[in-house]
Amino acid sequence: MKKNFLFYLALLASKLTMACLRLLGRKGTNLPGGVAIFLCKDFLGRMPRPKTVVGITGTNGKTTVANMVEDVLEQCGRQFVCNKNGSNVDTGVASALIAESTLLGKPKKELAVFELDERSSNLTMPYIKPDLLLVTNIFRDSYKRNAHPEFIVDILNRYVPDGVKLVLNADDLMCASLKPGNPRAYFSLDPQPGERSGGENIVQDVRVCPQCGALLEWELRRYHHIGRARCPQCGFGSPQGDYRAVSLANGAMQVEAGGQAFSFPLPNTSTINVYNALSAVALLREFGLEPGEIAGAMERTAISGTRYLEEEAGGRKVILHLAKGQNPVACSRAFQNIRDYPGRKAAILFLDDYFDAAHTVENISWLYDADFEFLTDPSVTQVIAAGARHWDVYLRLLMAGAEPDRTAHLLDPEAAAGALKLEEADAVFILYDVYTIPLANRTKERVKELMEKEGEKNERHEN
Amino acid sequence: MSGMKIEVLFPEFCNLFGDLFNVKYLEKCLPEAQRVDTPLSGQPLFVQEAPSLIYMGPMSERSQEKVIAKLKPYRQRLEELIQEGTAFLLTGNALEVLGNSIEQEDGSQIPGLGLLPLRARRDMMHRHNSVFLGDWQGQEVIGFKSQFTMAWPEEKAQGLFPVKKGVGLNPKEGFEGLRRQNLFATYLLGPVLLMNPGFTRSILKAMGAEAPSLALESVVQTAWESRIRDFHEKC
Repeated sequence: MKKNFLFYLALLASKLTMACLRLLGRKGTNLPGGVAIFLCKDFLGRMPRPKTVVGITGTNGKTTVANMVEDVLEQCGRQFVCNKNGSNVDTGVASALIAESTLLGKPKKELAVFELDERSSNLTMPYIKPDLLLVTNIFRDSYKRNAHPEFIVDILNRYVPDGVKLVLNADDLMCASLKPGNPRAYFSLDPQPGERSGGENIVQDVRVCPQCGALLEWELRRYHHIGRARCPQCGFGSPQGDYRAVSLANGAMQVEAGGQAFSFPLPNTSTINVYNALSAVALLREFGLEPGEIAGAMERTAISGTRYLEEEAGGRKVILHLAKGQNPVACSRAFQNIRDYPGRKAAILFLDDYFDAAHTVENISWLYDADFEFLTDPSVTQVIAAGARHWDVYLRLLMAGAEPDRTAHLLDPEAAAGALKLEEADAVFILYDVYTIPLANRTKERVKELMEKEGEKNERHEN
Repeated sequence: MSGMKIEVLFPEFCNLFGDLFNVKYLEKCLPEAQRVDTPLSGQPLFVQEAPSLIYMGPMSERSQEKVIAKLKPYRQRLEELIQEGTAFLLTGNALEVLGNSIEQEDGSQIPGLGLLPLRARRDMMHRHNSVFLGDWQGQEVIGFKSQFTMAWPEEKAQGLFPVKKGVGLNPKEGFEGLRRQNLFATYLLGPVLLMNPGFTRSILKAMGAEAPSLALESVVQTAWESRIRDFHEKC
């Protein structure tokens, strides 16, 4: 698309908006992009794109992976524009491009790395035309926005341009089947020694062969539909990974690619974060970085503390764990992480949608797609649900088989820490949504105070 | 209550939005009832016998077409069962499968089974989300809608829940869902039965349960009251 009068008007207005916001000391807003798109609907299509555009999309993990990829590129001395401080929809992408362009819209950087919301691919992909696109996975997400995975698959198939090189999850048959005509590289995590096949999840969105409809046979079902499957009728199955994590040990993963093996450090060893790190490695290799460069930079990267954070107080652990509300798969992963964490654990759940809690009655259907059953494990000594929908979460816990004397529920989230039976737990998990980070932090501090008091009490008792 | 059977149609496809917990809750209320899951590749139980309840939950749009094709040969049998008073519960877009037709954005029609007098129209890029408050035999019913379609019933159609607040079958319609004998069909999705104890008691009665009692009754009741209170305060 060519630049026209409306484009220049929109660019000028958005630049002025940006300057005003800077004067007011505000950064990381989508407003300039919003102004541009309001004035010129196809602004993104007319805005000159950097020479190379890398996109990161998918249901879960895209922010973590985008942060990882950006950290590695930065440490490797690459200059790029990204939407880290804005949103992952069209206005966020437009804001990032506007911020890093000249007065006439010429890009100041040759590389762009964008986290892209999969649901609004129709508003971004056809315009920015990524050269390389990573799709981390495709799962159920917010029913309101994303409906169901087939809907998201259809959107991506329709709006990701032909010819875009894809980096896809070979262990996710829905993801692996995207845009069959496009060039692609797959990443895959090999079955690990002693790894149990799942089958414990409520949500399983790939049960039958996408080609012929026969029931799939699973060599390994890691969680939900992630794993290795094969159709006994037509032979269709999970593709082989071009980047295979073959072993995990000592905080690192061994990746085989192109007949060679390389070791990459893992910032976190939970399975979802292994997939996140592996997908980042595959994307960065396809981009052209050398394995040594990637490994060296990954040594210095960490998962953002706003997503996962462990702290210690009074000899116990308090763990902040992001669990995106209305996303049953993300919450199920968090619940399973709690179950699998060593020792006795208590969990405080802040699962309400922040905005719905204030203005309406939240659609609680998603609670019944999330695997609360993991929280009924004997090692989970207490579960506390707090917030507007606490009765609903309590009911869901009872439906999962939770013992009423191991659960507590209350309206006021600020009082959740006070309901803890600390003497029974070695660690306390706090699960929260992206909009309740301040609440989670305040609760963490209260829990730490209680832990310290409990620690002192125990010390006095021992003396 | 012995000998009760709950047939769940095509749970490998019709399983969106946590709706299968409606069946899990019925199983908890009726511990002696037998649950029979019928896969799309199998022959439905209702062909041979009349189950106490036939349940079908929401599905993707492509799955709707597969399900319609699967049920088409059994249309007459389903009509018989409805007329005989067999209980049916359809949640979410499962209702459309039994309707007259589903119109797509390009104007093309997908014929349904023609057992419910309504036609639906899809708009895949505009999803409707809302909270619904209706009436069920003098008690308030609360639920959630999240759908790509709106539906238009024929004049003879019997509505299920009169609208108190929110959107019915379409924004101008005065009721949500449809009823035929003991067939209860609603666009409300998710754990409708866990959320509405009064309606659940009626379903249990329609299934033939004598003096039905609800599992986790006090918690279900208090959660319902809390939701209704919240709705009146906030919506």
